[in-house]
Amino acid sequence: MVDFLDELEANVPALRRYARALTRNIDRADDLVQDCLERAISRRGLFRSGGPVRPWLFTILTNLHRNALRTERRHGPTVDMDTLPELGTPAPQPAHMALNEIARAIDTLPLDQKEALLLVTLEGTPYAEAAAILQIPLGTLMSRLGRARSALRQLTGATHEPHLRTVK
Amino acid sequence: MSEIDRDSLMAYLDNQLGPDDRAEIERQLATDPEAATEAALMQRQADAIRTLYGPAATEPVPSRLSPHRLALAAQRRRWQGLARAAMIVGVLGIGMAAGWLLRPWADNLALYNRLIADAVSAHTVFVAEGRHAVEVAGEETDHLSSWLSNRLGTGLAMPDLATAGFSFLGGRLLPAPAIPGGRAAQLMYEDDTGQRVTLYITPKTGVDGPNLELVRFGSDNALYWANAIITCTIVGPQPVDALQALADSVFSQLTPAAAPAPVYREL
Repeated sequence: MVDFLDELEANVPALRRYARALTRNIDRADDLVQDCLERAISRRGLFRSGGPVRPWLFTILTNLHRNALRTERRHGPTVDMDTLPELGTPAPQPAHMALNEIARAIDTLPLDQKEALLLVTLEGTPYAEAAAILQIPLGTLMSRLGRARSALRQLTGATHEPHLRTVK
Repeated sequence: MSEIDRDSLMAYLDNQLGPDDRAEIERQLATDPEAATEAALMQRQADAIRTLYGPAATEPVPSRLSPHRLALAAQRRRWQGLARAAMIVGVLGIGMAAGWLLRPWADNLALYNRLIADAVSAHTVFVAEGRHAVEVAGEETDHLSSWLSNRLGTGLAMPDLATAGFSFLGGRLLPAPAIPGGRAAQLMYEDDTGQRVTLYITPKTGVDGPNLELVRFGSDNALYWANAIITCTIVGPQPVDALQALADSVFSQLTPAAAPAPVYREL
C-alpha cells in the first residue's frame, strides 16, 4: 500500500499539469486531481494487474473531467471571461500574445482533440500509451492529433507567419 | 507536405521515433523546405503549450493532494462508516428485542380488533342469506346450546332477546383463527321489521384489551365486550343505545356470575 501511495505521489505533478491545461483553472484542476487520487485509492483493489499506474491515473482523470463537463453542461456552464476565445485575432506582438492566443485556441478545440494534444505534447506520452489512456485505436489518436494541430494553426492565424524555430 | 506524411512528421516532433527513423526524417526535412516549415510550426505550438502549462508541474503540491493523507482520510471514513453501520445494527437490534418483549401486548391490541373485524364480516355475509342465514335453526335451542358449548369449550346458553323485540333465528359455528381455540359461535336474531343483529361469541381470550369497544362500519355498529368468561361482539344496524341494551341483556343471561356489563359512553 505504501509503495502504491508513493507511486501515486510521483504522478501528482504531471496530473496537476494535465488537469490545469484541461481546465485552465487552478482550483478546478486540483479538485480533479484530488478526486482522481481518491478514486485510485478506493479502487486500489480493482487495480492489481501490476501494470503501470500512470496511464491508469490519466484515464481516471480524463473520465472525471469529462463527467464534470457533462454535469456542467446540464447545470449551465461557468465561463471565466479570461478563457473566452477570440477567434482569429492576429497577434500584434509575437512573444506574449502568441501564448495567450494559443491558450485560447486550445480551449476552442473539441475535447477529444484537446485531450490527445495535451497528453502527447505537454505530457510527452508515447502514442500507444496515449491511445490506451483515451481508450481509442492508435489511428484515431493520430487523426485527432493531426486535426488538433491544423485547427490550432488556423485559429492562431499562423498559416502564413514566418516560422521561427523556438528553442526549448 | 509533399514527401513526408503528416503522421511521420508528428511522430518525429513528438519524439516517438527510434534513432534511424529520426535520422531519415531529418534528412528529408533538409531537402523539403515546405515540410520543414510545417515542422517548425508544429514545434512552436508544442513549445507554447509546454511554456503555458509546464510550470504547473513544478509548483509545490498542496497537502490536500498528498496520497498518503488522502488514504488516511479514506480509512477514517471507512471506519466511521463501519461504526455507523454497527450503530444502526445495534439500534435495530434493540428495536427488535423491544418488539419481541412487548409482543404479547401488541398482539392483544390487535386481537380484539381482529375479533371485531371477524364479527362484522360474519355478520355481513350471513345476515344477507335469507334461507341459509343460520346453520342450526333457533327451534333447536337445546341442541344448539350443547353443540356450541362443546365446540367452544365453554358453557353457552342461547340468550333470549324477546323482551327487546328480537326473535332467535339460530346459530352457526365459525372459524376464529385469531384466538387459541380457533372457533367462534354466531347467533342471529331478527326483529319484527326484519332487521337482524348477530352475536359473535368466543371463549375468553386470556388477553387484556378494553372491556368495551364500539366500532362503526358503514351502516352497522359493532359493540365488543369481554369479561372473565367470554367475549361477545354484537353487530347490527341498530343505534348504539339499542345495542347497549341488548348487550346488557346478553351479558346477564350468559354470565350472570360475572360483573354486570360496563356501559359504553361516547367521549
